[in-house]
Amino acid sequence: MNPMNMNTHTEATQGDGKVGRSPAEWVTFGIAATILSTVIGLVLYVWLGQQRQPPILSVTHEETIREVDGQFYVPFILKNKGGETVESVRVIAELETNHGIKEQSEQEIDFLSGEETQEGAFIFSKNPNNGKLNLRVTSYKLP
Amino acid sequence: MSVFKASIHSPWRQEFNNLVRGISGGFLFGIPLLYTMEVWWIGSSVEPLRLLIAIALTFTIVLLLNQTTGFRNASDIRFRDAVIDSIEAIALGIFCTSCVLVLFQEITLDTPLGEALGKLIYESVPFALGVALSNQLLRDESEEKQQPKENKKQTDRNKQIDGIVADIGATLIGGIIIAFSIAPTDEVPMLAASTSGPWLLGLVFASLLISYAIVFAANFSNQSKRQQQKGMFQDPFSETVISYLVSLITAALMLWFFDKLNLSDPWSIWLRYTLILGLPTTVGGAAGRLAV
Repeated sequence: MNPMNMNTHTEATQGDGKVGRSPAEWVTFGIAATILSTVIGLVLYVWLGQQRQPPILSVTHEETIREVDGQFYVPFILKNKGGETVESVRVIAELETNHGIKEQSEQEIDFLSGEETQEGAFIFSKNPNNGKLNLRVTSYKLP
Repeated sequence: MSVFKASIHSPWRQEFNNLVRGISGGFLFGIPLLYTMEVWWIGSSVEPLRLLIAIALTFTIVLLLNQTTGFRNASDIRFRDAVIDSIEAIALGIFCTSCVLVLFQEITLDTPLGEALGKLIYESVPFALGVALSNQLLRDESEEKQQPKENKKQTDRNKQIDGIVADIGATLIGGIIIAFSIAPTDEVPMLAASTSGPWLLGLVFASLLISYAIVFAANFSNQSKRQQQKGMFQDPFSETVISYLVSLITAALMLWFFDKLNLSDPWSIWLRYTLILGLPTTVGGAAGRLAV
């Protein structure tokens, strides 16, 4: 240990009144101040850069449909392109096969903040490739 | 690291102890809220202005606490020191919560910045309070040196067995107190669903580290007494491991008690749920052993 540190230490603890802070304490403070100011800076950045946009929701399905045990799994991606957070987003998938058979599948997503995406899958018993598949977001509520 | 070990009384070592004390206090106070999904949600939907207000309010409360107590060993604290300590308390809170939230995968690289900040700031509020209260929660040994408890004469063997039983009992009670409020909630299955192998290993490591830190690494109450005692529970590493195992058993039993786990569930579910509840249980257990 270098002697200067020891001195500061004695000063700092013997009086117990904290005459001075040891270099170690200053290092901690430096790191702490950096962390805190970074976080505050990021909050300000988000605040100023925030587009006051209402939620813009879009749902798309991926091309890769998985078939397991006679069931067809259609993965979907739900994205909130707007700035506001939404709750209870309902997504509906409707399938009409070429033979005129209709199937419907529903999904509710609890929570979707701005710029966030969520993934999931709809499950059908008929092959979506042999028909028309329609995905849409039906509703949401604001928190 | 060698700097810390150079001398027990070096200022670096002392500062390290102070920080570990602060972190331990933070975990004791903040861990139940880390297992509350509503806080994650509030954090992700709240406006940036509210986040700044949250930081300001936390700072004010922590500042008031730091003027009387705080995580450093000092009896007389000037206003400037309290301000500096408060900044450090909040930064410690932010640092530790971000580690845990990343471990829980509540914050990932895909999380939008605003949401991550919201989660981080709201979760770090109780943490920062815990840091500021850590001297109260985990009192320094010098104040307890004169306790009559230490003077009781017993044969070595009895003392050893008593010590082990007392430590296991304290781990159980402390673990139950903290984990009781978490075991019946939906967070355990929810977190279990989103974690996988490497993250669970990380969780085990974090649990051991925090448990070790709370009881041993810092200059906490009873520490010198504990290290004088002999017995398998008194070696820091074996104590940490044994108490972690006790905590895991406690966690598993509580999950079963609250019907979150059934005997018919596969073992992998048991393992995941137990490891996830194991973190708060082991933090509580470590606090329990301190109290004995």
